[in-house]
Amino acid sequence: MREGRGVALMVKRKKWGNCLAIVLLSVLCLVFLIPFFLMILTSLKSMPEILASRFVWKPEKWLFANYIEAMKKGDWEVYFANTFIVTVITVAISLVLNSMAGYGFARIPFRGRDVLFFFTLTGMMIPQQITMIPVFVNLKNFPLAGGNDLLGHGGTGMINTYAGLVIPYIAGAFGVFLCRQFYMNFPVSLDDAAKIDGCSRFMAYFRIYLPLSKPILATLAVLKASQTWNDYLWPLIMVNNNEKMTVQVAVISKFTTEYSIQWNLLMAATALVILPLLILFLFTQKYFVEGIVATGIKG
Amino acid sequence: MMAGKSKKRLGRIGNEPIGYVFIAPFYLFFLYMVLLPILNMAVNSFTNYDLYKTRDFIGLENYRNLFQDSIFLQSVWNTFIYSAMYIVPTMVLGLLFGLWMSRESKGFHILRTGFYLPYLISMVCASTIWLWIFDPSAGVVNQILRVLGWETYDWLKDPDMAMGCVVFISIWKNMGYCMLIYLSGIKAIPAYLYEAAEIDGASRVQRFWYITLPMLQPTTFFLFITSCIASFNVFEQVNVLTNGGPLNTTTTVVHQIYIRGFTQFKMGYASAMSVMLFLAVCLITLVNFRFGNQGQDTDIG
Repeated sequence: MREGRGVALMVKRKKWGNCLAIVLLSVLCLVFLIPFFLMILTSLKSMPEILASRFVWKPEKWLFANYIEAMKKGDWEVYFANTFIVTVITVAISLVLNSMAGYGFARIPFRGRDVLFFFTLTGMMIPQQITMIPVFVNLKNFPLAGGNDLLGHGGTGMINTYAGLVIPYIAGAFGVFLCRQFYMNFPVSLDDAAKIDGCSRFMAYFRIYLPLSKPILATLAVLKASQTWNDYLWPLIMVNNNEKMTVQVAVISKFTTEYSIQWNLLMAATALVILPLLILFLFTQKYFVEGIVATGIKG
Repeated sequence: MMAGKSKKRLGRIGNEPIGYVFIAPFYLFFLYMVLLPILNMAVNSFTNYDLYKTRDFIGLENYRNLFQDSIFLQSVWNTFIYSAMYIVPTMVLGLLFGLWMSRESKGFHILRTGFYLPYLISMVCASTIWLWIFDPSAGVVNQILRVLGWETYDWLKDPDMAMGCVVFISIWKNMGYCMLIYLSGIKAIPAYLYEAAEIDGASRVQRFWYITLPMLQPTTFFLFITSCIASFNVFEQVNVLTNGGPLNTTTTVVHQIYIRGFTQFKMGYASAMSVMLFLAVCLITLVNFRFGNQGQDTDIG
């Protein structure tokens, strides 16, 4: 009897503790997300209101027209289209290359496999910032591209092209690592069975492995898409004209004059740049989180 | 661990050259965009390459200049300052929130999303939002300080404040990542360890200190290594928020590489800087390979 009451009390206390924790953490979370609320509220204010000496959270008038006006500063439909195209091509090519290579490393024995894979692992640790100079030089001097001659001189190479943006992204080794980890978990008997049935490696890959790898490909696609959409460094270096500009570069270059920044339009554009990613996130939350967590799993 | 496994498989099945066909498409890009560039970078660092005409070998001159370049030395110092101020708070916060969020209920799932939302957006977007928040006249921080009657600052243009602001924003943005990684680490700790400890009468603090923390050691190590590499390469927030100013107090190594390489076109000189950064990252990677598997092999079964 006494014991029963003790347990009941403990459960009750635990429940209360849980509630308290939720309330406290919710408040903390709201504070944490204040920058996002500020972004949206500011994007709906007028410039005089923003510069007024007294700060008010709520916009006087909700100026949704700011969003339209922001999109008129520069050719935003072009920037969005560029970023979208680069993202889609990068994701598509990455999926093919990475799952193939991941399968090769995981399931097929061949001479030098471990050494080659070790290089891939090491390459994965090297951030793009370190190799940006030589990669840029390589792409600029790419033979026969952009008016270059056979030795890669004379033209602009892959500067201001989609290829120049996509190629460095698809060379990233993380997807190979991810796919390899996934394919390693398949039983060896699967390969044996396929072999006995006269299945070539290609057929086994296309007929058996690929249909089973939807979850890992979805994870990889979402991860790659968000990385490509969010990247700033590479478009900053590779693109120097308006026609191939991406949203991340446009957002910081289109609203700043020498003397002032149009905060309401800048915040509107920022919100619009975040929006496609947020929509993707809403629909693929599970894969998103898996992708982020996967970066923490190591061989 | 993987070498042993694959050797066994190699012995059993043999050598199938078709494997090269599978890895070739990726490997060509990888060779051309990751491995070859490292060699190119090393070669270029001994030249005065300017992207257009000249590319003469000048020996060690770039490196000699590097150690007399006060701005570069400052950028190295700044990068260390950034790393020192960024890594520990981000990881501690990530661990704390990971522990708080590890309970399984609907509410916590939604809260979790809130805390890693900043991690999903681009560094550029995060920076533009904070650029406004820290704006000296219209920004909300100074508005609040003014209402309270306190002193206001020109946050991002004050040599004493600018780096702190950059670090603060980076922590805000990346804390959620550490939280997620810690969460998955916490989930992997078997529940029976806690049950056994509870039976033995271990307090909450003891359970954290003697079970959670040691079990999370591989996670902590991984986060420390990746955070080190990431903060050695910090660039985007610096370029957007301060452009290295005021008085070079926020310029970082990658920012210097960018400035020298892509605004002054001193590709040889910038390559020498990249080589130094590459060596630093290699050192960290070596530490990782040397100590990375410690604690992961401990069998708790």
